[in-house]
Amino acid sequence: MLKNIKINKLFFLYIFLIFTGSVVANNCNAVEPEEFLKDPKQELRARNISQNVRCLICQNQSIDESSAPLAKDLRIIIRNKITEGSTDEEIYKFLTDRYGDFILLNPPFKTSTILLWILPFIFFLIAIVVLYWHNKNSKKNN
Amino acid sequence: MRKFIFISPIIVFFCIIFIFLYLLITKSDPSELPSALINQKAPKFETLSLLSEKNFLYEKEFNHDLKIVNFFSSWCIPCSAEHKYIDLLSKEKGIKIIGINYKDDPKKALQWLDNLGNPYSDVAIDSNGDIAINWGVYGIPETFIVNYNNIIQYRLAGPITKKNYEAFYQQIIKNK
Amino acid sequence: MASTLGNSALWLSFLFSILQFIVSTKNINSIIIFNRIAVTGLLTSTLASFFLLMYCHVTSDFAVINVFQNSHTTKPLLYKISGVWGNHEGSMLLWMLVLSITNYFIFKLYSKNNSIFVSKTLQIQAVITIGFLLFILITSNPFERMSTIPSNGLGFNPILQDPALAIHPPLLYIGYVGLSAVFSLSIATMNLENDEGTPWYIYMKPFVVAAWTFLTAGIALGSIWAYYELGWGGWWFWDPVENAALMPWLLSTALLHSLITVERKKSLQAWVLLLAILAFLLSVIGTFLVRSGILTSVHTFALDPTRGIYILIFIGLLGSYSLILFALKSKNFLGKNYFSFFSREGSILVNNLIMVIVCGSVFFGTTYPLIVEIFTSNRISVGEPYFNATVIPMIIPAILVMGIGPLLSWSKVDSKKTLKQILPSILLTIIIIIIFFLSYRTYNIPGLVGIGLASWIISNVLVTLFLNIRKESKKNNFAISSFLKHFNSMIIAHLGVGLLIIGITGSSVWQEEKISRMKVNDEKMISNYNVVFKEINEVAGPNYLALRGSFWIYNQNNKIITVLTPENRIYPITKNTTSEVSIHTNLLRDLYIVLGDGDNDNGWVVRIYHNPLVVWIWIGVLIIVIGGLSALKNNLNILRLRNL
Repeated sequence: MLKNIKINKLFFLYIFLIFTGSVVANNCNAVEPEEFLKDPKQELRARNISQNVRCLICQNQSIDESSAPLAKDLRIIIRNKITEGSTDEEIYKFLTDRYGDFILLNPPFKTSTILLWILPFIFFLIAIVVLYWHNKNSKKNN
Repeated sequence: MRKFIFISPIIVFFCIIFIFLYLLITKSDPSELPSALINQKAPKFETLSLLSEKNFLYEKEFNHDLKIVNFFSSWCIPCSAEHKYIDLLSKEKGIKIIGINYKDDPKKALQWLDNLGNPYSDVAIDSNGDIAINWGVYGIPETFIVNYNNIIQYRLAGPITKKNYEAFYQQIIKNK
Repeated sequence: MASTLGNSALWLSFLFSILQFIVSTKNINSIIIFNRIAVTGLLTSTLASFFLLMYCHVTSDFAVINVFQNSHTTKPLLYKISGVWGNHEGSMLLWMLVLSITNYFIFKLYSKNNSIFVSKTLQIQAVITIGFLLFILITSNPFERMSTIPSNGLGFNPILQDPALAIHPPLLYIGYVGLSAVFSLSIATMNLENDEGTPWYIYMKPFVVAAWTFLTAGIALGSIWAYYELGWGGWWFWDPVENAALMPWLLSTALLHSLITVERKKSLQAWVLLLAILAFLLSVIGTFLVRSGILTSVHTFALDPTRGIYILIFIGLLGSYSLILFALKSKNFLGKNYFSFFSREGSILVNNLIMVIVCGSVFFGTTYPLIVEIFTSNRISVGEPYFNATVIPMIIPAILVMGIGPLLSWSKVDSKKTLKQILPSILLTIIIIIIFFLSYRTYNIPGLVGIGLASWIISNVLVTLFLNIRKESKKNNFAISSFLKHFNSMIIAHLGVGLLIIGITGSSVWQEEKISRMKVNDEKMISNYNVVFKEINEVAGPNYLALRGSFWIYNQNNKIITVLTPENRIYPITKNTTSEVSIHTNLLRDLYIVLGDGDNDNGWVVRIYHNPLVVWIWIGVLIIVIGGLSALKNNLNILRLRNL
């Protein structure tokens, strides 16, 4: 089965906490030289986009780093779209229309992800309140 | 207020534990990845037919019946394994099944159909995988249920097996 | 035979841990002898079962499922040994071993005036030990046998066949388990409401320092391994597995610093007790996240769900007990010692808060996809871009504060004096940024910020050192020996952080990459180097076959610097292919070559990276670890003096 044969680099990282009994291999055949666009500016855009697009059948890996055939197809599609003059937004929309938000490594800002983006700031505000409170009390004490 | 501060760690902790517990217990089948195309119109495509060597007649195949769209390939081992269930759906239940032959050698694909039987009303050739990407396919086999209005109702990622066949058939009945 | 013995030894450990629990509930001095029996018995039997498992691996006893699944007769001896903890069951046994060693150290703390406190700690520790032992015995027994004896093992993962990865798990486990001692000490303190007036923080500190030091080293080794083994030119990927190790590290960093405040000013006690609980809970939750498979739901098959459920129940019990205890008892530990923002303890509090919110964000980012999955039908991914966007901006103020913190005095600060003190480092930082900007003509903001932060830390460390020495030389005559004496652990560790930032900035901002298809005799320029592809040969290793490319590196004067030989290996036993990176390192940059697919006619895909300053990451971490070890030594000395 296509999706189970391809194993990815980050799967190996699972030994960071020692995983068991998995067959792993490291294939370093990510983006290939033949895929590169002639225009370096366009190529840079393509690389940037591919680094934000998840390899769907891998674990936490972008299509830029993946050797999966689907990742390669997507890289080629992204480059074709760039040469055809699509904007980055159009390309991301093309991808999410087909694969959902799951394909974006950088989650978009919308209702389901509001908490994800806002909570770090709320944490930050709480920290500032704590500091202020401590500071105020210290003046009272003295 | 002060009390709340001391109780808050345990409250947050319980929330986290319950989320994990819920996920562990109801751990859904990974193949049940929701498709982004559910309730969307089935994507159109133009290609050749594997069976007739002429154009694949999209309008004719995507008519006003319920149909199943099955992505397969002769090199994909789970596709061979699921084939008998596809066959069953087509021949016993009389459901229209459209095949899409993903990145395959047409000769090998025809040979494969000869060996295992042909349940498909027609087979579209997807030589470079473009159709699959338009349908949001992760990896083959994948099977879609498309209703009479050509709206995608359900997607099964991974093969139809003995285990999920009955549930899959229920999905078909539901959308008939 | 060995496996049966090992299994019995494991059950024996279980009995001893129960004994430890029972005897430590009684607070009688005469019962300490039984405690000694329990603790040493536990240590001996766990050691026995660990070495028996090692014996099974070394002698390739394939009747043991664990050996059969993870070993092979052709495996080199070193990796047969490290293979003991290179799998789930064995690694849990290693965890157990470290846990029983920790129990022994806690037992060693006994003295006339702290018996109740230490007994209570040992009791909590016994609960944790029993929990882990039951987990091993019920769900992951490494000594399980098969009825038939296979002729050879299934092999091993060649990517694990690596020295860095052999020592990485033990280091991480010392860190995690060290946090378990911190947890137990915190529970004991809250439970006893500090009746004996025990300075619990003095007992806690060596464990925190040890845990933090080993976690630092363990995480760094994992990164080094990822850097040269995975062949992506990177060393940190924000993978859930890495996050699982990072979160306890962040909390123990916070703990380490706030303990100093407790020691000096008796403030922040409740906060430290809470951090101590959370740090350990997070290390177990991290283990749960990684091993239960709930994060890896997409197209990877989940592990045995009973394991996940077991760990979750265990975390649930430990966590609810400890946090309810905290909710009830923490008010006893609230001081009235508020302090101003602008003081040493104020700066420590700022850094504590930042560490905790960074930890919270990492935890939240790692688990958010699960939350979305539950509450909506949608699925999302949270990857590297998110973590970079949230964590880096939050860390920057922490680094700024970290620079001046050590220069501020406790409680009250004379702001004019402080300003005068940090003036040199402000000037130095600005000058370095300007020099850097002018000489490299770089308009790269992240790069300038990184260099600025690093020079800010380093110049402040130098200023602190200078001030300390001046204070000393006013009293005595200056001597070289006193110069070295002033390199205290804090100064060393902070210096390491400064160097680490240089390395991180250099390697992530100015990395250069050339991916191309090269034939033999092709040349490629990267930075100022000319890389010539000289030849490609087949070579045979001990248990693999490889294609080895030879790349000659010339500098701009056309002088040869080195020959790099990346390989593509095939391991016939497991049918794995791996790519061996070849790296040339100096203090300024790494040259890093990966050989990809190809053939002689069309050429080979070659990826060449120029990674500036990478080596400073490793040097920085090494210096941080040295600082940690020196702090550990100091804290143990303080403890020894106290217990005399």
